[in-house]
Amino acid sequence: MTLIDVAVKDLRLHARDARFLATLLLFSASLVLILSVAFGPIFREPAHEAAATLWAALFFAGVLGLTRSLDLEGEAGGGDAVRLTGADPYSIFLGKTLANFAILAVVFALVLPIASVFFDVGDLRTLPILVGVAALALLGYAAWGTLFAALARGLKARELLLSVLLFPSLVPLWIGAVKCTHALWSGGSIDPVRDWIKVMAVADVIGLALAAFLYELIQEASE
Amino acid sequence: MIEPGEKGFWIVAGRALWVLALGLVAASWWAAATYAPVEAQMGPVQKIVYVHVPSAIVTLIAFGLTFAASIAYLTTKQWRWDAVAAASCELGMVFATVVLVSGPLWARSAWNTWWTWEPRLTTFLILWILYAGYHVVRSSLRSVSRRTVSSVLGIVLFVNLPIVWKSVEWWRGSLHPRNVTMTGEMRETLLLSMAAWIVFFAAAMVSRLRLEWSREAAAERA
Repeated sequence: MTLIDVAVKDLRLHARDARFLATLLLFSASLVLILSVAFGPIFREPAHEAAATLWAALFFAGVLGLTRSLDLEGEAGGGDAVRLTGADPYSIFLGKTLANFAILAVVFALVLPIASVFFDVGDLRTLPILVGVAALALLGYAAWGTLFAALARGLKARELLLSVLLFPSLVPLWIGAVKCTHALWSGGSIDPVRDWIKVMAVADVIGLALAAFLYELIQEASE
Repeated sequence: MIEPGEKGFWIVAGRALWVLALGLVAASWWAAATYAPVEAQMGPVQKIVYVHVPSAIVTLIAFGLTFAASIAYLTTKQWRWDAVAAASCELGMVFATVVLVSGPLWARSAWNTWWTWEPRLTTFLILWILYAGYHVVRSSLRSVSRRTVSSVLGIVLFVNLPIVWKSVEWWRGSLHPRNVTMTGEMRETLLLSMAAWIVFFAAAMVSRLRLEWSREAAAERA
């Protein structure tokens, strides 16, 4: 099984469960709504408030996606079946990361217009750069998230623990994403916060590299 | 490492370390109170530095040791390395808590606020939360996977240490003092305090590891 096979398998299972996708999207949309009501009706600094709201909604909703992808492993021996194909553990990790990334991208595509409308920010000229920033942040989120989700597999109250460990680890990505989005929406350029792109890229690489060494060990431990 | 056959040696070594540690801590407190001069601007509050800085150094040593022992466990699969990692992480948490408590006491006087969202403070708080998570995860796992999962965490969480260390240089506008530049009696007192708390950490590690060994022996008998 290649990483694409693993990703397609996970995504197909997600797609079959319409309730999961609907919950995920509704949850993130209502987070944006709640926060925009809390900040509004007159926004002091819409670009900043909208950037923080967008990423808060994405990061919180992401945990739901990660937990679900964890459950897929447990259901009907899915995880064992994948391992029995003899697939390389790192390919499995990358496949699951890719699937989680795709789910996050879908949520991003939905939450972005909602945040833009509610806060009245953003324009189409900066959209390609924003998509690039989001790709960097969400790839890191998916990599670290998949790694921690695998660690949390055997735990009681794993959703809680996943958040406790995952959110603090994601702080560089979270700050980077908010700063870049804010810069794009307020000044139309990413130049003032260019360093944060590097920080996010480093966080992505560290997440992917740690998993290359550790994912196999985690998998063994849960057998 | 502690071997059951060398139990006598470790009991004696542990006690000797405790005597040395308590003596050094008492000496460092005496030096901080009387030998080191009162700082001109901040007054006596500045003396918190003699607890705060050594605790921060010991925290880094402890979490560094957890990282090294975690790698050792994953490569050798010997339970004693996992015991070292867990014990060291536990003590690291105690010292990290001392850092988090003593810092605001100092900050109140220096910056006129208990807490500010400043890079070093923020990254250190994140570090504290993450290592607290390590203990929660460790305690909620079954024994079979516990060692591997905690070792993996011991390695993953270590990534934050260089961030805390370098935060004052990486982020502009950091208020936290970069390196403590001291001379004369102040410097000597600080070095004595560091030595004292490092020996204290070593003594506590020996005691903690002996407990771990007894636990393992009890589990084997059961």
